Amino acid sequence: MKAIVEMKSMNKFYGTHHVLKDIDLAVTRGEVMVILGASGSGKSTLIRCVNGLEMYQHGSLVVDGFDMPVEADRKLGGERELAQIRKGVGMVFQQFGLFPHKTVLDNITIAPMRVRKKTRVEAEATAMKLLDRVGLTAHAHKYPGQLSGGQQQRVAIARSLAMEPHLMLFDEPTSALDPEMVGEVLDVMRELASSGMTMMVVTHEMGFAREVADRVVYIDQGSILEIGKPEEFFDNPKNERARSFLARVLKH
Amino acid sequence: MIATSIKWTRHNLFGKPFDVVLSLLVIPGLLWLVYSITDWAFASAKWDIVVQSLRVLMIGVFPADQAWRAWTASAIIGAILGAGFGCVFCFKPHHGLVLLLVPALLLIVDGGLTNALPATGIIASTILGWALTSYAPLSRKVLPAAAFTGFIVVVAVMAPPGVGLWGGLLLSVLLTLVTSVLSLPIGILLAFGRQSRLSSLRIISAWYIEVMRSVPLILVVYWIWILMPVLAPQWGLADVARGMIGFTIFYSVYVAEYVRSGLQAVPRAQIEAARSLGMSEFDINRSIVLPQALRVVVAPLVGNVLDIFNSAPLVFIIGLTDFLRAGQMILANPQYGDRTFEVLSFLLVTYFVIGSMITYAARKLEDHMATGTR
Repeated sequence: MKAIVEMKSMNKFYGTHHVLKDIDLAVTRGEVMVILGASGSGKSTLIRCVNGLEMYQHGSLVVDGFDMPVEADRKLGGERELAQIRKGVGMVFQQFGLFPHKTVLDNITIAPMRVRKKTRVEAEATAMKLLDRVGLTAHAHKYPGQLSGGQQQRVAIARSLAMEPHLMLFDEPTSALDPEMVGEVLDVMRELASSGMTMMVVTHEMGFAREVADRVVYIDQGSILEIGKPEEFFDNPKNERARSFLARVLKH
Repeated sequence: MIATSIKWTRHNLFGKPFDVVLSLLVIPGLLWLVYSITDWAFASAKWDIVVQSLRVLMIGVFPADQAWRAWTASAIIGAILGAGFGCVFCFKPHHGLVLLLVPALLLIVDGGLTNALPATGIIASTILGWALTSYAPLSRKVLPAAAFTGFIVVVAVMAPPGVGLWGGLLLSVLLTLVTSVLSLPIGILLAFGRQSRLSSLRIISAWYIEVMRSVPLILVVYWIWILMPVLAPQWGLADVARGMIGFTIFYSVYVAEYVRSGLQAVPRAQIEAARSLGMSEFDINRSIVLPQALRVVVAPLVGNVLDIFNSAPLVFIIGLTDFLRAGQMILANPQYGDRTFEVLSFLLVTYFVIGSMITYAARKLEDHMATGTR
């Protein structure tokens, strides 16, 4: 199967700090990849590179058939490739990132109308279908501030899906939620995974990783230490640091 | 009622020894001040001068037989302002009654219709505009277009006798409106320019803002007044237009600074979310960043309008007759030499009323913005 994301010895620096070290990673279409690691290990940075929110300095990154320009080229105007990539890649953030001055419906329709040039009628029809999918049709005309965290995150997922992405990135989608709301968001993500969506998920939800992931990636200090099937990784981690990480997170 | 007010007084004014001393000093002084002012205002002041010169105060040296043009323009402006106010503050019948007190008072004091009739017209159209946007929210959608058209009509109606004749309170209001409306888009562009990725644009905006913030308004107005005919002699711009340009050039810088603080208040996550949806930088700035930024700075921006209104008298430097200058003109007449206090008191009270109305509107607008989404 052909890869939708392919990183070859990708390196990223913040100034002199080496954040990502020689990352080689390929995500195939339809795959659910969960990225694990301690905070500060570089896992969020890794998926933020995939839609160009972060820039990398060396190596190569191909997303959905487009070459992501390196930092030096971005400064010379790699904007067109970037826009092409972003159209096909959805992203869900820890803090939801909904637009507080727009209703739920407008949050979902704005990008399809502006970027994909859909009419309002078309965009709203799609939006209502997506809201139905995440179970929030009744809230279409509310403002994000009137919804709970879990509801907001489901709207954010619907908003990304409205752009009909080929790949969805999740950057700790449940970390900012109250415990009782984590489930409703994970349910939506589970449904999305079973519908065949390609997903890259950074999360601390080990249960979700074990159950839904096709492959698990373990990152520590900017390097990939392990890639494998979730059962292999959780039951029999080969790397010493992965073992101690699992011991810490699975203890409670 | 009386018992609680005695309790309140004892607690707040005579609670501690220091309070007692302070109250004993301040309260009689205050009473004396209020007494002397009222005594003067009702016993010795001769207000007839204000009534007689009301036309000059309101529209300056605009020819008397053409005054209907100025009154029509004022009515249109009143309707626009009323309609704008109605968008955030719902009209109630008793507001209308309070406003109608103005023409009623004029009728009683003047004993004729010369002043009361135009005043009734202006107040009535203000009330109409206010009530329209309060009771028919759909009309708010066409307000910008209607206001723009109304403004063109104002200029068209006022122009024939000569733009140089514009004056009085009407000129102050027109100057404030034009400056506020024009400086907003220019200020927004400057604010974006200042944080642009193009360094030429950034440097030009930053310099423009720095220079304008470092010089006095009166100098800018005078300088533009002298410079415009040199730069564009073929335009033959009137003094009023040159004054408005000077004010706009000066105040757009302050708008830019307010807007910039608003832009910085928009969380970076908002921009990232919009980028991840594939939106262009232009769309992100227009639809995501700017609306949220403006929401934060509505109050300072309205404060800026107040600032413009209170600075309007500075146009005397280029020979225009604004509200304050009109008052001075009346006093320049030797026959009215002993009425200085009456005229200046009227100016003071009018400025105070209009200024506090703007402040009040700002507060209402802020509340309105706050309840909108959060």
